[in-house]
Amino acid sequence: MKAKINTTEDISKKDINKKEETADPETGNGIIIEFDNVTKVFKDDSLALEDACFKINAGDFVSFVGPSGAGKSTILKLISSEEAPTSGTIFFDGSPLNKIKRSKVPLHRRNIGTVFQDFKLLGKKTVFENVAYALEVCGAPASEIKESVPQILDIVGLGDKMEKFPKQLSGGEQQKVALARALIHKPIVILADEPTGNLDSASSVEIVDLLLKINELGTTILLASHDKEIVNKASRRVICLDKGKIVGDLAKSKYKM
Amino acid sequence: MFLTIKRTFKEAISNFFRNGWLSLATVSILILSLYVVSVIYVVTLTVDGVLKNVQEKVNISIYFKPDVAEAKITEMEKYLRSYMAVKSVDYVSKEQALEDFKNNNADEPIIMQSLQEIGENPLQASLVVKANNAEQYQNVVDYIDKSDFKGDIGRINYGKNREIIEKLNKIIATIRKVGITLSLIFAAIAILVIFNTIRITIYTHRHEIEIMRLVGASNSYIRLPFAFEGIIYGLAASLISMVILFITIKFMTPYVSAVVPSENLIAFYSSHFWKIFGIQVLVGSFLGISGSWIAMRRYLKV
Repeated sequence: MKAKINTTEDISKKDINKKEETADPETGNGIIIEFDNVTKVFKDDSLALEDACFKINAGDFVSFVGPSGAGKSTILKLISSEEAPTSGTIFFDGSPLNKIKRSKVPLHRRNIGTVFQDFKLLGKKTVFENVAYALEVCGAPASEIKESVPQILDIVGLGDKMEKFPKQLSGGEQQKVALARALIHKPIVILADEPTGNLDSASSVEIVDLLLKINELGTTILLASHDKEIVNKASRRVICLDKGKIVGDLAKSKYKM
Repeated sequence: MFLTIKRTFKEAISNFFRNGWLSLATVSILILSLYVVSVIYVVTLTVDGVLKNVQEKVNISIYFKPDVAEAKITEMEKYLRSYMAVKSVDYVSKEQALEDFKNNNADEPIIMQSLQEIGENPLQASLVVKANNAEQYQNVVDYIDKSDFKGDIGRINYGKNREIIEKLNKIIATIRKVGITLSLIFAAIAILVIFNTIRITIYTHRHEIEIMRLVGASNSYIRLPFAFEGIIYGLAASLISMVILFITIKFMTPYVSAVVPSENLIAFYSSHFWKIFGIQVLVGSFLGISGSWIAMRRYLKV
């Protein structure tokens, strides 16, 4: 327990150091997401998140862990402006999200790629069309779609399955399609909400490897999971949640259930 | 912007055809609404035309006593002309009246014969007065009654068309009332049906909508397909209803012509074609947009 607290202190010291770095625009490694005393109470009076404070640096890979209902998904939804905080402020890339206009929310979401447990692919569209759809609805010209969709599919290793329908793919492959769709806008942050929840362990490892690879290319990754194997495989910063409270913040620590 | 409109419109078209039966039902009820509205409009136009025709023919004739001098009649003619409601005053002399009478009854030997037996001209001189509109005839009569000429007047003959005009006016008023009521009822039904259709379209596209929001499609991009779908319903319905309307007119013309002689109805309606078509397109699109707007407000989260 004592060791844990020490680690947390280390992190906060590290954060302070990073903050100083933010002042220097040359480094480009500033704080991308900051939660300042954020509380979220849902309409049915259930407390989803209480006084959450943390900072995430650009290029980080952060896992949120905890049992169901701990508030992991809530944090991700708050970041993508799917939900608004009851109190407190969230900063995204330096600007507070509560001041964002409704009409500007879509632009904010283009900075974020999201993957879910249930993939959320369109069954009537092919792999190519599923990924292309994300560009299409944001007004990208056809030439750009034709060019960048195969590139992204190559990155996730599905370059040869572009004309297949989601049903013809394995769960792991479907999640890769979803990941390709999340990446197509070249987002600065990827939110992965239980991305391996529906997958066998081999596919799960593949997805995490892919997330790590994407992280290496410079994209900040926020992973919510209760699968300790996955989180330990990542072996990066872990924020532990329980009943809406942050109960631990460990740098490169092994997470124990 | 152009790309957004192109893509959302394409999406709307494909939604329209993908839900074939639902679209058919929606368009049908819209056609019915537009058809009712335009039939009522056409009927009003027709009755209005008839009314104008009849109004042209209405007049009052003032017959003078046999011993009234022509100078007195001329004086009265002037007096009437000075009255605002009066449109025209024509003097018909005794001789003129006899001439007209002979012309009108040339085919009736008995009448002609009895006229000859009388020997002298039995007809009186008269003034034929036309008012600016049908309601003013009573005023004209009152005006004459109050004047100094009252003693010289044998009788005043209200034109027999006056009653017809009053009846037609009543009919138009009734048609308008019934028409407006019916139009409102049908418009409400049409909006409800479109609302329901768009609601179903939104439901069947819930996954697409979710993903569009997820990847940051603009709010207008998410909404436009449903707005366009509403407009497409309106436009399709107005086109079809226009065709049905003209078939109806073509079919009805022989019957209407019997009631309204000397009117080329097809030409008459054709001259109103763009007006009717414009009204239909506007009303149709308005109903379509309203229905989908209500559905979007309630069921489409952006």
